[in-house]
Amino acid sequence: MALVTEEALKQRLAEGKLVETKEQMSPRYLEGIIRILTVSADTELISAPAYYLAAQDAPNINAFVSAMGIIQDELGHAHIAYRILEDLGVDKNKLIYERKPEEFKYPYAFDVPLETWVELVVANAFYDRAGFVLLGDVFKHGKFGPWKRALAKVDKEENFHLRHGEMWMRKLVLQPDGREKLQRAVDWMFPLTVEWFGLPDNLKRHTEQIEYGFKGSSNDELRQQWLSTAVPLCEELGLEVPAHYDASTGKYVLDFPFPSRFVAEEKRWLFEEGPISWDEVLERWKARGPKNKEFVESVQRGYRDFLQTEKLAS
Amino acid sequence: MKKLPVIQQPPPPDFDVQSTSEPERSLWQALKTVLDPEYPISVVDMGLIYGLEKHDGEVRVKLTFTAMGCPCMEMIIDDIRTCLKKQPGIETVHIEIVWDPPWTRARLSQAAIEQFRQWGITV
Repeated sequence: MALVTEEALKQRLAEGKLVETKEQMSPRYLEGIIRILTVSADTELISAPAYYLAAQDAPNINAFVSAMGIIQDELGHAHIAYRILEDLGVDKNKLIYERKPEEFKYPYAFDVPLETWVELVVANAFYDRAGFVLLGDVFKHGKFGPWKRALAKVDKEENFHLRHGEMWMRKLVLQPDGREKLQRAVDWMFPLTVEWFGLPDNLKRHTEQIEYGFKGSSNDELRQQWLSTAVPLCEELGLEVPAHYDASTGKYVLDFPFPSRFVAEEKRWLFEEGPISWDEVLERWKARGPKNKEFVESVQRGYRDFLQTEKLAS
Repeated sequence: MKKLPVIQQPPPPDFDVQSTSEPERSLWQALKTVLDPEYPISVVDMGLIYGLEKHDGEVRVKLTFTAMGCPCMEMIIDDIRTCLKKQPGIETVHIEIVWDPPWTRARLSQAAIEQFRQWGITV
């Protein structure tokens, strides 16, 4: 099926029409939408094993059910994005089960293990908030019809996840040692989520994302949106975060060298070494973090075993 | 503790909270502001409130969930308790979880159904 020219696509977008099918895309558009949908799908998928590791630390059965409910939602969201990719001609099974762990394109944060209930609920409050901000933007401003419509459900569910995180943070902060435990989690997870939004606007390479309406706001705008609710939450709970609101510019300002070096194995930032280059961050992202292999393999294991059994039977 | 009267069967899905009488009416109205954590529809419109009675400073709520594995049980209970405790004259909130009759889609109010449709969700 022939794709349209760049001009025809731009004309369509200028008329305020949504892009609905592959036949309405230019080759460059198709490549871009596949890239962004893959990131979204991979993020949702890998959040499942990442959250499951910590869900096993749930303090009671209802809390465990809530965590498993969140994991089920995430798998549903992953399915939505992979399903749309399938409509765009991508082989879904190959994408999920036959890529190498390092070829997955989810945020680095999920490669750093969440090991306690405290870390899980902070992840709900921080990471799911990032998901809510990023996907909420696509839902509101996106120009690719199938994804935009599917996100109505995702938007609502991500809101539940971040509220779950907030509710538990409010409970935990009242416990003896609760604030200290939360603070330790916030210390490494806050900068990791700030980093999640990617390169600052002045260094961004893929400019087609806004031009094509894959999203409506820039990386820096979305990062500000996240800070505008994450910082007040932490302040309300008496948790220290390395960012503050600057009334003169109406923006949140980071109080740590950004970007910074991170020691994943120790969950520790080396702020004292000062800011590093984004090239170094991109290198760390590309090399992936401690849990990448384990999480991807846990997702792929059943598929491989099944194929193996089939092969032996035939 | 003073024995409270037994709450009857759940109200019909489309019952108008205005049709109730005080002191319960203002509590029903308050619960219209408590939203389901997954979909921002009130717990009243979701049909989760099977009964509500006030007696002196005490309010007793019969609450159900859409499923026994509902991931939001704690949150909904917390939200209802917080909301009702803020109402004038309320000192104690008793929330009793009930599973009979089981919740079905027929419990949704018309307003809830229309809201779901607007989000593109068939109920």
